[in-house]
Amino acid sequence: MSGTWMTTRAWLLMLPLLVVMVAVIGWPLVDTVGLSFTDAKLVGTGGNFVGFDNYSNMLSNSNFSRTLVTTTLFAVVSVAAEMVIGVVAALLLNQQFRGRAVLRALMILPWALPTVVNATLWRLIYNPEYGALNAALTQLHLIDAYRSWLGEPGTALAALIVADCWKNFPLVALIALAALQAVPRDITAASLVDGAGPFNRFRFVILPYLAGPLMVALVLRTIEAFKVFDIIWVMTRGGPANTTRTLSILVYQEAFSFQRAGSGASLALIVTLLVTLLAVAYAALVRKTAGSAA
Amino acid sequence: MSALEIRGVRKSYGSVETLKGIDIALQSGEFLVLLGSSGCGKSTLLNIIAGLAEATSGDVLIGGRSILGVHPKNRDIAMVFQSYALYPNLTVRRNIGFGLEMRGVAADVRDKAVNEAARLLQIETLLDRKPSQLSGGQRQRVAIGRALVRKPQVFLFDEPLSNLDAKLRLEMRTELKRLHQMLQTTVVYVTHDQIEAMTLASRIAVMRDGRIEQLGTPEEIYNDPATLYVAGFVGAPSMNMLNAVVTGGKLAIAETDVRIPLPARYANAAREGAQVVIGIRPEALRTATGAATDLSLPVEIEVVELTGPELVTTARIGAQRLTASLPPRAQVAKGEKRNLTFDEAALRLFDPTTGKAL
Repeated sequence: MSGTWMTTRAWLLMLPLLVVMVAVIGWPLVDTVGLSFTDAKLVGTGGNFVGFDNYSNMLSNSNFSRTLVTTTLFAVVSVAAEMVIGVVAALLLNQQFRGRAVLRALMILPWALPTVVNATLWRLIYNPEYGALNAALTQLHLIDAYRSWLGEPGTALAALIVADCWKNFPLVALIALAALQAVPRDITAASLVDGAGPFNRFRFVILPYLAGPLMVALVLRTIEAFKVFDIIWVMTRGGPANTTRTLSILVYQEAFSFQRAGSGASLALIVTLLVTLLAVAYAALVRKTAGSAA
Repeated sequence: MSALEIRGVRKSYGSVETLKGIDIALQSGEFLVLLGSSGCGKSTLLNIIAGLAEATSGDVLIGGRSILGVHPKNRDIAMVFQSYALYPNLTVRRNIGFGLEMRGVAADVRDKAVNEAARLLQIETLLDRKPSQLSGGQRQRVAIGRALVRKPQVFLFDEPLSNLDAKLRLEMRTELKRLHQMLQTTVVYVTHDQIEAMTLASRIAVMRDGRIEQLGTPEEIYNDPATLYVAGFVGAPSMNMLNAVVTGGKLAIAETDVRIPLPARYANAAREGAQVVIGIRPEALRTATGAATDLSLPVEIEVVELTGPELVTTARIGAQRLTASLPPRAQVAKGEKRNLTFDEAALRLFDPTTGKAL
C-alpha cells in the first residue's frame, strides 16, 4: 500500500472528528473573538465594531482587578492546602494498618461526588440556622452565637476554600499514593541505616519520587481552580458583596446577567489567555522536574 | 570477644518460620558469606542484623553488645544493597557523605572522609555527578563508598553484584577482595553465587530452609561438604553423586557390575549392605591411560562440551550419569567407551536417607 493512500486514509478516518471539533470548538472560538470586538448584546443584532474598547474597558475596570485578586487568592490557597493535605493523607494511607483498604476507598468519595452535591452538602454544613459547623463550634464554646459563614464577607471565601479543598485533596492524595508505591524499599532501608529521621527521609528519599507526579497534580489543580465556577455558583453566587466573585463568575455575569455579549466575550478570552499562560509555564516546569528526577 | 555474634535467631511470619535457629560467631576482620538459594532465609538474617527486621527470638551482638531493639543507625553497621539504593537527587559526594551528614559530622571532616573513600574506590572524578549519570559499576562503587566512610564495626552486603553484568561482576569481586584485604573489616555478605562465596569468604555459611547446612572455610565447604545439599550446591559443574551399596568391603555402583574399593577411612562408617551415595567432583575425574585399575569407572561418553578452559564431558555408567571436567585437549568423543579414574582421597560418601556425609 502506498504512503499517499495511507495518509489519505488517515485523514479520511479523522475527518468526522475534525468536522465535529471545528463545529463545536473552532467556530465558537472564532465567533467569540469576533464578538469581543463588538458592542453586541445577548439578544438583538450583531452590534457595531468597537475595536479593542471592550478589552481596554475590562482591563481598566476595578471589578476586573478585584476579581483577579480574588481568583488568584482562591487558587493559590486552595491548591496549596490541597497539596499539603493530599501528601499527608497519602503518607498516612501508605502505612501498614488494619482497615487501610477501606480508608483508601473512602478517601476518594469527596472527589467522586458531583460538585453540585458537594456544594449543597457544604451549604448545609455552613447553614446559619441549623448548620453542623455552627452546632459543633457552639458546643465546643468556640463561638457564642450561630454565624452566617457564607453570608459574611470576612468568612465566605475561606469557607469556599475549605469546601473546595475537601472535594479536591483526594485527587492529590491518590496521585501521591500511587507515586509512593514507586519509592524503592532499599532506599528507604538505606536511609534508616544512614540515620535519616522522618523529615530527612521525606526530603531525600520520598520527595524525589513524588516531585514529578505532584507537579502534574499542581498543574491540573491550579488551572481548574483558576477557572472555578460551579462550586462558587451553587454556594454563594459570587457574594456577599462580590467577595467570592471569581473570573468565571464575572464572565457569566457580564455575558448573561448584564447581557453584554461583546464585553463578556472579551473577558472570556482574557481568562483563556491567562489560563493558557499558566499551562505553558507549568508545562515547562513539569519538563524540568521530570528531567532532574530521571 | 566476637565482632558479631548471632545466637539462636529465629524468625516467623505468622505460621511460616523462615529462620529456624541460627548460631554464628564472627571474629574481627572475618568475611562471612551467607550462601543459599532464593528463600533460604539469608537476606532475612542480614536484615535482622541490620535492624530492618526483628527476630522472633534469639539475640544479635555486635562488639559484645546486644543490638536487638536498637535503631539501625545506632548499630554501628553499614549496608550495601543489591539495587545500590543511592539517593537519586543527591550528588555522588553527598550520597557518600549522607550517613555522616545525618550524624551531624562537620563538613570539613566529612569532605575529607568522602575524598578518601573516593580515592580508594577510584571515583574521584565522579563526585559531582548525580546517580543517573553513572553506570551500574560506578553506582555500586558509590554505594560501597557510602558504607566505607562510616567506618562501622560490621559491613553488610546484600547481593551487591547481582545487578552487574558478568565481566563487571568479576572486576567488582576482585575490587571487594582487595578492599577487604586492605581494610581488614568484618563483613557479612549475602549471595546465591557460589563462585562469589568461594572467592571472597574467609568462612561460608551454606543456608537451606532457614537453617545453616554447613559453616566452614571455602576449602572445607568444597572438599568436605557436610551434606548432599552442600555437595550439590557448591561447585560448577556440581559434584557427581552415584548410588552404590557396600558389598564385601567394596562399593558396588547400582545397576552395574562395577566395584570400587571402599576407602579405609570409611570402613567403620559404612556397614556391609548399606546404601550409600558416592560423591566425586567432576574435576577429580580424568581419563585412564592404561588398563582399568581398581579406581576406574567404565563409562560411555554422551555429550562433550568445550567451555574454553575445560572439556565438560557427560557420561553414563549404567543408568546413572556423571560429569567430568577434563583438560581442553582431552581426546574423548561421543559414544566412546572409556575408563574414568580418580584418586581415592577425592571420594566422599553420604547417607542417602539423612543426606549427611559419612
